[in-house]
Amino acid sequence: MRLSKYLAIFRIQLQNNFAYRGNLLAGIISLLIFLWIFIQLWRATYGAMGSATIAGLTLQQTLWYLMLTESIQMSKSRMSRTVSEAVKDGSIAYLLNKPYDFLLYQLSIGMADGLNRFVFNILCGGALMWLLVSPPPDLLGLPMVLVTVLLALALDFCIQALIGLAAFVSEDVTAYDWIVGKLIFIIGGMLIPIDFFPTWLQKIATALPFAYAMYGPARLFVEPSVERFASVLLGQVIWLVVLGLLLALAYRSGVRRLAVNGG
Amino acid sequence: MRELRFLSALWKANLISAMEFRATFITQSIGMMLNDAVYFIFWVIFFDRFPLVAGWDLQDVLLVYGLVAVAFGVTMYLFGNAQYVGDIISKGQLDYYLSLPRPVLLHLLASRSQVSGVGDVLFGLLTFFFAGSVTLDAFARYLLGAVCSGIIFVAFLVLVQSLAFWLGDIPALNLAATNAIITFAIYPSRLFEAGTRLLLFTLVPALLVGAVPAELVRGFDWGRTGLLVLGTTVFFLLAGGVFHLGLRRYESGSAIQTRS
Repeated sequence: MRLSKYLAIFRIQLQNNFAYRGNLLAGIISLLIFLWIFIQLWRATYGAMGSATIAGLTLQQTLWYLMLTESIQMSKSRMSRTVSEAVKDGSIAYLLNKPYDFLLYQLSIGMADGLNRFVFNILCGGALMWLLVSPPPDLLGLPMVLVTVLLALALDFCIQALIGLAAFVSEDVTAYDWIVGKLIFIIGGMLIPIDFFPTWLQKIATALPFAYAMYGPARLFVEPSVERFASVLLGQVIWLVVLGLLLALAYRSGVRRLAVNGG
Repeated sequence: MRELRFLSALWKANLISAMEFRATFITQSIGMMLNDAVYFIFWVIFFDRFPLVAGWDLQDVLLVYGLVAVAFGVTMYLFGNAQYVGDIISKGQLDYYLSLPRPVLLHLLASRSQVSGVGDVLFGLLTFFFAGSVTLDAFARYLLGAVCSGIIFVAFLVLVQSLAFWLGDIPALNLAATNAIITFAIYPSRLFEAGTRLLLFTLVPALLVGAVPAELVRGFDWGRTGLLVLGTTVFFLLAGGVFHLGLRRYESGSAIQTRS
């Protein structure tokens, strides 16, 4: 398998993104609105609790954590919609005889979109936090965080592509997309750090892949350490292998069911 | 009266069209209910740990969240084109509505139904029974609040997207404005200080969509009722006025056609 063509697709898509500056701007404005509300909410919450730390996190750490989870969330591609549309309108059939793998093609596109948006999101979100909250956490941990963010985006691609491929058996996958999206919001720790959950829910949340697509990188960002990095990385790799295999199986079985009428 | 008959005919046609894809109708309605419920788990976890924040508790947030869901759901189901006004203007697709002897804006807005709105409405109505104040009187105020909230929401979308008459379609602005009004509406209003609150009553009327009608449900008050009715009237008139002002600048896309 030649990876160079997928790198080329990734590079071209990265350039394409600059043609759609409006979308990028909308994402950034929305991100800043969400972060501004979070700042008000968590300031009031820490104020009401009257303590400097909650579940081991200071107000500043909580807010920087949320900056990173929101930046990841706002960077993701709507890959489930792209894949399900390709299945529903039959265009997937035209891609089958092309000299590339459909899923790896979509992965290259999704990673390019995600990475491009993430860079702008973290720069703008980070600037807002620095201005209104505090200087960022230890930036020495940033290289480790970036690796986990890349794997988080890949993990999210697998989840979204699985939802998209459900269109082979279901008329409409929008509802699955909404519900899984909200599970990532909550159980993944996007809206609230998993550390604030009751213990029983923490156990469930950390056993699922959603936490490695959100909580893992963000928690590492506010408290970087080699041990934490290794633990997040291991979890991400395990879930990538599991979901990647599931995805390959779902794709093969879906393509076998594909009926192409006419041409 | 004539307009009401026209609207009910449009909504009936939309319903018949949605029923052609019955499985999608059911999965999107139930899916949206579950989606709203799963999102609300955030607040359950939050208030489990921090019982009272900015003077609000879980029931307060549930009330405002459900009310906004009803308003949003009704809007998306009955006036489903509200999110696409800018796109339709910039593509010159208003021609179809202009060529018919019916009110342009009303016809445009009601020509599409987003079936997921049904799920929002069902979820919102259900939450009313868990948010305290379960009396007939409170339910009547809840419905009044949801109607006003829905009208303000549609008017806000029309206002923002009517900018397309002057600036062309700006999907980025539409998306950011929609996200802003919904997000600000479902968070405790007392989080925001005076200056921000003023903006949330005027520029992005999120407090008129969420907090004010929710407070009205908790207890009747002439002041709040007056504020809500005044806000609804002002935004309603403003949206209609700005849209029709923009219509004078509209350039046809040569897309006059009839639909079966």
